[in-house]
Amino acid sequence: MDTLYLGERVDTFAGVVPYRGAGWLHLSASLSRCGWSWAYAVVIGTVIGLGLGASKWVAALFEPLANGLRAVPLFAWLPLAIVQLGIGEKPARVLIFIGALWPIVVATSDSVARVPRAQLETACMLGTPRRRLWRRIYLPSALPEIVTGLRLSLILAWTCVIVGELSGTSRGVGAMMNAARESGRTDQIIVGIITFAVVGYLGDRVLRTLVRPVIRWSES
Amino acid sequence: MTSSGVLVARGVRKSYGDVHVLDRFDLEVPAGCTFALLGPSGCGKTTLLRLLAGFEAADGGTVTVDGEPVLGPSRRRGMVSQAGALFPWLNVRQNIGFGPREHGDPDRDRIVADLLAVTGLTDFAKSLPRHLSGGMRQRAAIAQVLANRPPLLLLDEPFGALDAQTRLRMHEWVRGVLAERTTTTVLVTHDVDEALLLGDRLGILSARPARLVSERALAFGEKRGRHTLSDPAFVALKAEVLDEVLAGR
Repeated sequence: MDTLYLGERVDTFAGVVPYRGAGWLHLSASLSRCGWSWAYAVVIGTVIGLGLGASKWVAALFEPLANGLRAVPLFAWLPLAIVQLGIGEKPARVLIFIGALWPIVVATSDSVARVPRAQLETACMLGTPRRRLWRRIYLPSALPEIVTGLRLSLILAWTCVIVGELSGTSRGVGAMMNAARESGRTDQIIVGIITFAVVGYLGDRVLRTLVRPVIRWSES
Repeated sequence: MTSSGVLVARGVRKSYGDVHVLDRFDLEVPAGCTFALLGPSGCGKTTLLRLLAGFEAADGGTVTVDGEPVLGPSRRRGMVSQAGALFPWLNVRQNIGFGPREHGDPDRDRIVADLLAVTGLTDFAKSLPRHLSGGMRQRAAIAQVLANRPPLLLLDEPFGALDAQTRLRMHEWVRGVLAERTTTTVLVTHDVDEALLLGDRLGILSARPARLVSERALAFGEKRGRHTLSDPAFVALKAEVLDEVLAGR
């Protein structure tokens, strides 16, 4: 198909070709933003999840707060992020971080809470000190579910890029699509959608390939 | 203090809410003895073993091993349950070597190699537990516990999930393994054949709250096996024991 009618007639592929150079800049800006925010979400989300999952006391204290915050739509954070952090890079990264955080927290806390008691008892019986149970039992036992959370979180981080880039960034796939919306460039909007789909798919495949060796034992 | 594995329980009580599981329970197992405990289903056998292992605390009474009170889990007391508890992310070799690794045993490699040979799992050393049969998993679980050379071994219906043929082979295997070691063993089971084939002494528990209602020595010799099942003395004792267990319900 050479042309597409979406509000106006657009020569889709002709519109994309001259855009390639700037497109890479937008893509690399989005990838960098998403990568950093996701990395922070992985570290902080895993720590929060481990705390919630392993300690009933911590869970009783913080779980209501975590569940409440999890229910806040990402768009509701947008005005607060802009007012508090200004326009540009910082609010974008914070918004992506918030979007990516909760799947990791939930997956980690649930999986840690479900570590079979028999495994913990066996480890203690075989001589594992309590402080080492994290490394020896909790993490390996919970890892398959944590990885599921990481995959979900990565996809969510990537989809949150567009919301983050509504906070006034000049570069990024979301920023490009926002600009394309204002100038009526349907071709660029479609390129943005395809970019989100392809990069999201590839990101998930790469993550799955990287973590597969450590969770192979849980595959059916 | 020498590690001989003398187990003494005195006046042990345990309740869960209004349910009294153990009431003034006494037990004494001499060093190196395999003590089989038979009791009706739900009488508190597993709770008793969990108390002896230190996984749970008694409401009253004392449990000591070699004179030391049991206050929590310890590598000097190894327990194997029906489900086993091999770590699914570790292969057989790593599972068996888990305990020695945790306390930096310099003999770890030799111990693991020996136990792999004893269990007949040398060819499966790199296999994950999910790739093993039920009998192989239980042998690996017992080897995992024996790798720590505990003076006291606690077996909680370890072969209950296996089919009859595998169970019989496991009885012969365990009997051989225990005969080569000086480990004191407490076996709880509801299988009379298992208790008579594996035990040096047999205790019969009452219905809940469990108490030891009788105790006797078993003298079928060291070479017990499938042939023992048809021994007239074995058959007669089995009937007697069965009557006693059923009367305790």
